[in-house]
Amino acid sequence: MGLGAAALSPALLAACGGGSGGSSEQLPIGTPQNPVRLPVTREPIADGLAPESGTLRIYDYADYLNPDTIARFESTYGVEVELSTFATEEEALIKLRSGAVDADLAIGLTDLSIAPLVAADLLQPFNRSYLSNFTNLIAGLQDPYYDQGSQYTVAQFIYANGIGYRTDRNLDTSVFTGNEGWNALWDSRYRGRVGILDFYRDTLSMPMLRRGLTDVNTSDRAVVEQAGADLAEVVQAVQPQLDGISYQEIPAGNRDLGFCWSGEMLAGPGYLPEGVDPSVLGFWYPGNTLTGNDFYCLLAKSTRPVLAHAFVDFFLDVDNALENQLYVGYQPALQAIETEQLIERNGLPESLIDALVTPERYESGQRLVRLSPEVDAIWVDVWSEFIAG
Amino acid sequence: MTGRFRGLAFVTWAYLIWSLVPVAIAIVFSFNDGRSRTVWQGFSLRWWIGDSEQSLLNDPSLHTALANSLLLAVGSIVITVPLGVLLAIGLDRWRSRTSSAVGWMNSLPLVTPEIVTGAALLITFTTLYTSIPLGRPAQLIGHVTFSLSFVVVTVRARLVALGTSYEEAARDLGATRRQAIRLVLLPLLTPAIVAGCVIVFASSIDNFVISSFLSAGSSSETVPVKIYSAVRASSSPALNALATALVVVSFAALILSIVLLTRWQRRRTGSAGFHSAVNDVTQMDL
Amino acid sequence: MSGPSSSPADRRRLWSGLALPGSLWLAVFFLVPAYTIACVAFGRVDPVFRDAVPVWNPLQWQFDDAGEVMSSVISGPLRGVLLRTTAYVIVAVAVCLVAGYPIAYYVARQTGTRRTVLLGLMVIPFWVSLLMRLLSWVNLLEPDGLASRALRIVGIDRQWLNGSHITVVFGLVYGYLPFLILPLYAALDRLDWRLVEAARDLGATTTQAFRWVTLPLSRAGIAAGSVLIALPMFGDYYTTDLLSRSPRTAMMGTQIDFFLNGSSQKQKGATLVLVLAVLLALVMTWYLVSLARTRREQS
Repeated sequence: MGLGAAALSPALLAACGGGSGGSSEQLPIGTPQNPVRLPVTREPIADGLAPESGTLRIYDYADYLNPDTIARFESTYGVEVELSTFATEEEALIKLRSGAVDADLAIGLTDLSIAPLVAADLLQPFNRSYLSNFTNLIAGLQDPYYDQGSQYTVAQFIYANGIGYRTDRNLDTSVFTGNEGWNALWDSRYRGRVGILDFYRDTLSMPMLRRGLTDVNTSDRAVVEQAGADLAEVVQAVQPQLDGISYQEIPAGNRDLGFCWSGEMLAGPGYLPEGVDPSVLGFWYPGNTLTGNDFYCLLAKSTRPVLAHAFVDFFLDVDNALENQLYVGYQPALQAIETEQLIERNGLPESLIDALVTPERYESGQRLVRLSPEVDAIWVDVWSEFIAG
Repeated sequence: MTGRFRGLAFVTWAYLIWSLVPVAIAIVFSFNDGRSRTVWQGFSLRWWIGDSEQSLLNDPSLHTALANSLLLAVGSIVITVPLGVLLAIGLDRWRSRTSSAVGWMNSLPLVTPEIVTGAALLITFTTLYTSIPLGRPAQLIGHVTFSLSFVVVTVRARLVALGTSYEEAARDLGATRRQAIRLVLLPLLTPAIVAGCVIVFASSIDNFVISSFLSAGSSSETVPVKIYSAVRASSSPALNALATALVVVSFAALILSIVLLTRWQRRRTGSAGFHSAVNDVTQMDL
Repeated sequence: MSGPSSSPADRRRLWSGLALPGSLWLAVFFLVPAYTIACVAFGRVDPVFRDAVPVWNPLQWQFDDAGEVMSSVISGPLRGVLLRTTAYVIVAVAVCLVAGYPIAYYVARQTGTRRTVLLGLMVIPFWVSLLMRLLSWVNLLEPDGLASRALRIVGIDRQWLNGSHITVVFGLVYGYLPFLILPLYAALDRLDWRLVEAARDLGATTTQAFRWVTLPLSRAGIAAGSVLIALPMFGDYYTTDLLSRSPRTAMMGTQIDFFLNGSSQKQKGATLVLVLAVLLALVMTWYLVSLARTRREQS
């Protein structure tokens, strides 16, 4: 991971220096090796203001906030919350930049988007004095590499990539140790019962992780092409379905196995048919995998910034975060949340405990960072070749 | 002859059943008791009115989708039909090389895949026509562009069948050309115009590709876009309820328009009915 | 007394005036976007936001990225996709013709209420979301679905939703068959059946009359209908996305959708759109030319 990522930032900044007219601002991309402090062009709001009334507008993924928790926030502050949703970060970026969407808070974006958000001057920094629960966050994310000092962002959920599976379908679970479990995706015994994520960065990095590689942001075309070739083997072996709904299909019984996100599988019990015990759902946490997190960010054009702070602070509270997790499934990035709480309060089945991302696991996982257009073109080309069949 | 037809009758009815069974299934599963859209778990009205957040009655995003679909459909009719009728009349009567070129241009959208039109419009709206925001305005324009050619084809068919004799008779009686068009031709075109409205409505209601490409997020989702999201994100039988509701509303609109047309026909005896509009389209060369 | 006479110039102005708003609309919202696609395909990529930046002046177009895509289409991975798409379309259209012609023929030969009822029933699918109907087929074709189980009883046991070519072609047929039956019905309805009766009076059997009279007379309708469904089918991507979701059945539309909506290389998606458009324009031109030739021969 070291050389590739370290080489990336200077080269990227140099490339951006002579960019197209009108958008040639430097694009500061942080990596775990080279954290970056984002430039601040506007002042945060003043201290000590009262939360505004009215309607708080939130731009978010679908089903990413518990309606009950939102309702309690609404009644606590006597306000309304209006949600609009996006399906992908690319879409969110386009809509925010073009002004098609006007909101106070954007939730669910990741560090892949932070640099263009800042470059387009869409964000305003948080005022920490309104976020009394900020210290509930896990230590590593109180000062993330992509936004040192957590100026523009407040971490929300953490997750990892792994394999969700059915415990009641006689799968060969002996492979689910160390880093070997990836091989289950190549096992033709599971033909026709497998799902695989269809996001090009995540899915192309999976064969790399299986081979023990740690640079998942590589610009080495040979490595990426090898990953593409490995994926072609998967298609040959198990004829998977490429989509993002393994977390529904595995509980529904249509799939036995899926390459998916840990947070999704935590939401899996909600998709089981009536009367089926949640212990049929399992998750394997790989030895070498991607970890990631998403965040809340405050939009520059927000008309209710104090209320927005209150919203973020509300969800940083441990009890509220636990209630949120009950609905969304994803794991809040709070160190104050114990596994026992998730099991007892939220009914997390023992079989899914491995889907939890402990702070140690979070630190040792690989991170995807935003690639320069030239490097991204390599990944896009290989993916296009892969999905061409 | 009856023997041969019996085999064909069987094939035809088999086709109709094959065609409509999925419709029945979709409607049936909207009454499913569980979350699954594929595993039957008992009967319930949960997804129609029961569930306090996700049912059709209570989920605002479903209301938005339904409202968007209907608004776009009605808006499309309001813009497309007048444009298309005028274009058809103009093209039919105007004999020149320019008009053949325009006529050829008009038939292009009919055979262009929607992904081509949708992609072109998306790129154009985000780079050139940036004053037109994505979402409902852009989607409306996309729908109109897509269905304009259908209206032109339908109306031209009727024009060809009518010929120019009615207008000439009117002119012999002292009307100007404009008056002849307004007072004689347009009323005669009514069945074709109604057929055009129906076609625009149906194609707008079911339009997926263009609505999806030009949407601005969840506030401008239409019913097909929302249904497609079932493949990528959470889904529930509420989507089936949504689709069923849309069908019911569409059919109500269709029946209403047929009833109104028939009543209007009865007032003006002697003019042809809706059935003849269908006939005309079928008579015309594509 | 006849109405006020007008000069040919006046008349032309009237008709072209009527045609103006519609033509303007098509020019602004169809032709200009077509040009924009080319400007994006041969344009640049903004390095900061990875947007596709159109280049309006043809003299400044750059062809590197487009060249890469073209070489991929001609001899690279995209060639397979193009061939596969063409194969799907040809097979699907053929199946539609074989299935649709008898149905159109039957309905065209009915009269009165029965015909209206049949036409009405055939129109119903247009009103129910195609996506909903395709999703219902996913339901039916799942391993435990009714269709899978029914086929297993007959001895056919396979997985239908995991990269199956048959399923994708089936989905295409399901979606586009209604759009073929109507024009075929139109052509057959217009046919002069007395010619068929005359043939039979002259001693032809039913089959011979069909083969030598009905079929040739409906050729124009067959061609028109086939073109009407084949061209849009080339750009279809949601059928395979709903019914298969596997690289093995990817169509051109899948690639275009990925490049334009899910990648930082939108200009490559624009190139693919151009490739598709040019291809279809060629097919359309060939169809129109042969149509004009047949008309000239007939007159």
